[in-house]
Amino acid sequence: MKPISAAKEVGRVLAGRGAKGLERLRRLRLPRYRFLAYLGILGPGLIAASAGNDAGGIATYSSAGAGYGYSFLWMLFLSTFSLGVIQEMCARMGAATGKGLSELIRENFGIRWTAFVMLCVLFANGTTVISEFIGIAAALELFKIPRYVSIPIVTFSVWWLVVKGSYSRVEKIFLLMTFVFLGYIVSAFLAKPDWGQVARGTLIPTFHLDGSYIALFLATVGTTITPYMQISVQSLVVERGITMRDYAMERADVYFGVITSNLVAFFIVICTAATLYTHQIKVDTAEQAAAALEPFAGVYAKALFAIGLFGASMLAASVLPLATAYSISEAFGFEKGISRSFKEAPIFMGIFTGLLVLGGLTAMIPGLPLIQVLIIVQVVNGLLLPVLLVSILRLVNDEELMGEHRNGIVFNGIAWATTVVVIALSILLVITAFHPLA
Amino acid sequence: MLYLSQLIGQPIVDRAGGKFASIKDIIIFTGNDTYPTLTGLVARSWTREFFINWSQVSELDSKGVRLSSFKIDLQPFQRRENEALLVRDVLDRQIIDVDDRRIVRANDVEIAQVNGQYRVVGVDVSFQALLRRLAPRGVVRQSNRSEVIDWADVEYLASEMPVVRLKVSMDRLAKLHPVEIARLVDSLSYHEGAEVLESLDDETAADALEEMSPERQANIIGGMDEEKAADILEEMEPDDAADLLGELPEEKATELLSLMEKEESEEVLELLSYDEDTAGGTMTTDFTPVPQDFTAAQATDYLRGLGEPTGMIYYLFVTESIESHKLVGILTLRDLILSDPQKPISEIMLKEFLSVHYDDAALESARLMAEYNLLALPVLDETGEIQGIITADDAVNLLLPENWQGRLPRVSI
Repeated sequence: MKPISAAKEVGRVLAGRGAKGLERLRRLRLPRYRFLAYLGILGPGLIAASAGNDAGGIATYSSAGAGYGYSFLWMLFLSTFSLGVIQEMCARMGAATGKGLSELIRENFGIRWTAFVMLCVLFANGTTVISEFIGIAAALELFKIPRYVSIPIVTFSVWWLVVKGSYSRVEKIFLLMTFVFLGYIVSAFLAKPDWGQVARGTLIPTFHLDGSYIALFLATVGTTITPYMQISVQSLVVERGITMRDYAMERADVYFGVITSNLVAFFIVICTAATLYTHQIKVDTAEQAAAALEPFAGVYAKALFAIGLFGASMLAASVLPLATAYSISEAFGFEKGISRSFKEAPIFMGIFTGLLVLGGLTAMIPGLPLIQVLIIVQVVNGLLLPVLLVSILRLVNDEELMGEHRNGIVFNGIAWATTVVVIALSILLVITAFHPLA
Repeated sequence: MLYLSQLIGQPIVDRAGGKFASIKDIIIFTGNDTYPTLTGLVARSWTREFFINWSQVSELDSKGVRLSSFKIDLQPFQRRENEALLVRDVLDRQIIDVDDRRIVRANDVEIAQVNGQYRVVGVDVSFQALLRRLAPRGVVRQSNRSEVIDWADVEYLASEMPVVRLKVSMDRLAKLHPVEIARLVDSLSYHEGAEVLESLDDETAADALEEMSPERQANIIGGMDEEKAADILEEMEPDDAADLLGELPEEKATELLSLMEKEESEEVLELLSYDEDTAGGTMTTDFTPVPQDFTAAQATDYLRGLGEPTGMIYYLFVTESIESHKLVGILTLRDLILSDPQKPISEIMLKEFLSVHYDDAALESARLMAEYNLLALPVLDETGEIQGIITADDAVNLLLPENWQGRLPRVSI
């Protein structure tokens, strides 16, 4: 008999709070994601999807709008469905199995395929880290800070922040900075585009068979459906302990994230099309890209753009190297943990630090055509996407793994169609690289 | 000694040496033997897969399998009771290495011939084994940098197939410190974590569960058989059980409360009634009150007579009388033991003591405890009656910087 019971024996009067306790239980238990709390803590779907609007994303969308007007809009519209389906599949896998993507790949596909996929991920994420640092350099240069000064300081600061654990505090600041990009929506309306043309661009597909168009197209796919986003949404779902029980809310969060981030992309294209394309201004530098915000921010366009770019790039630059290190260490069973020393977890810390250094060094290469490089990185992401998509599709259809939560026909259809299209684009790109078609 | 990685994909030949299929997987029998026997092969020929009983095997080596006849009994492969597939269910799965207190992966499986029968004898968890599988066959030699865990020592295997879970009792795992068990369980998915805890005895499971974050606890308990979950909740400290239940959906929490013994569930409900960031929300009702007219000897006898070990025994909380719960003093165990047995407690106890009200802020209470080096702080109501105590471990958790409290993220961010 527990002591308190003995005490009861000894004459204690129950405070009569039992009923109050039950009542509190009832009050506490709104659905897991109490909505107000949810607004404060962003959901996995929202966080993962917003990774698409980083430095590479801004550069790609701006180039698409400035170079080709509204003709990319239909592709963004369709890709929202693709992305929604793909992100949902990964979130579902995380909720149903409680495991991350790299873990599932390791457990189900044998070591050789795992090694191949991880290599692709390392390459895709590595180049993306480079693009983030380029974004940081470009943003700070808009404030007249030369990159040879800013990059070393930033690289070291990010390393320090993450390793010492203070990252979560600054994360909120960077996140706030990215809200600047909502200004694109306002700017797009203020620029008074021809909405008829916008509608036509959204609903009528067009395509050009020339190399640079295809490259930009593939880049847009690569930045909208970045491999990193799939790994990240699944990991976050597992991290937050979301199970199939509370999945309904999570599914809503995934779709919400995809729609929101694609909406921003949509408006970036409209905005740049209305401001830059109409004046035949190509986007080669960050300054030109910033000009698209002028209808909204006037003389502050440059500063505002720089802030948003900085925030988005810092966010990604801090999270990507760490996430990649975790993924790879998990897949191969290396020791991991940010609080470990280099001796205790050499490969983990090595990958993390190495990616940061690589990003920093590459961003400092003199004479780098920034926007071009950003776009090339997204092309790389697009090329490597099918590898991950095929793996995800095989996993999410595995009956032993997913049980009743495996894919249905519609989702399979959309996902496979996306995969096939991306592979076709990649092949087309390679062909046009050697043999111009148009 | 053979490795699974050496066998996969190798040819299966008939008695004359003609190849007709390759090895896709190996079937083992996971019955009562310590080292499972190999009972069959899953063979693949072009796109067809079929099953070959081990009785038809005459030779096995790193070059492949030779059958004992020409006639092959081709049956499609079907899973059966107590059988598992080495590649599908065992290879690359997580296992608990109890000796080193860590989770590792089965990077390769060791097979040996024991008294004429082929059996699984060990699991290679080294990085070397991974390299061996990655590189083309035979390039990486076996060396002593392999780390092989004897199959008899493998306490848990995380796999979708229930039969592969070793029904061997997990007594070695149960002997680890609860914090170590918790850390190991944290590295598994919540399904697997629930499996591990279900197979431990209630007390050990409760101790381990208490060391995890409330969200994780909720996920694991949520996935468990409800009777077992209720049993474990009964063994937990009431304040930890209350925190856990607070994280579950209402129907689940009330269901579990109804399955618990009435006394236990009442305690937990009481604690749930307090606001989270208050002393009431942090305290536990697991303390020992003694009336002030007891002598030291009577108090000691009383303690012995309680039977079940109580949480906080270093301080005893002295009440006005047997009927009242008004706190009049605190008696340390040291003073109790060292005093003259016939002396009444009222003369030994500390009459001046610190206390808080249940609505006081939790953080302030924790700071008070840290400042005065208290092991426990009594929580009173307006009339001075003791409601519960805040223990040092809870205070420490409140005072630690946030980063230290959480676990390692289990997967990449």
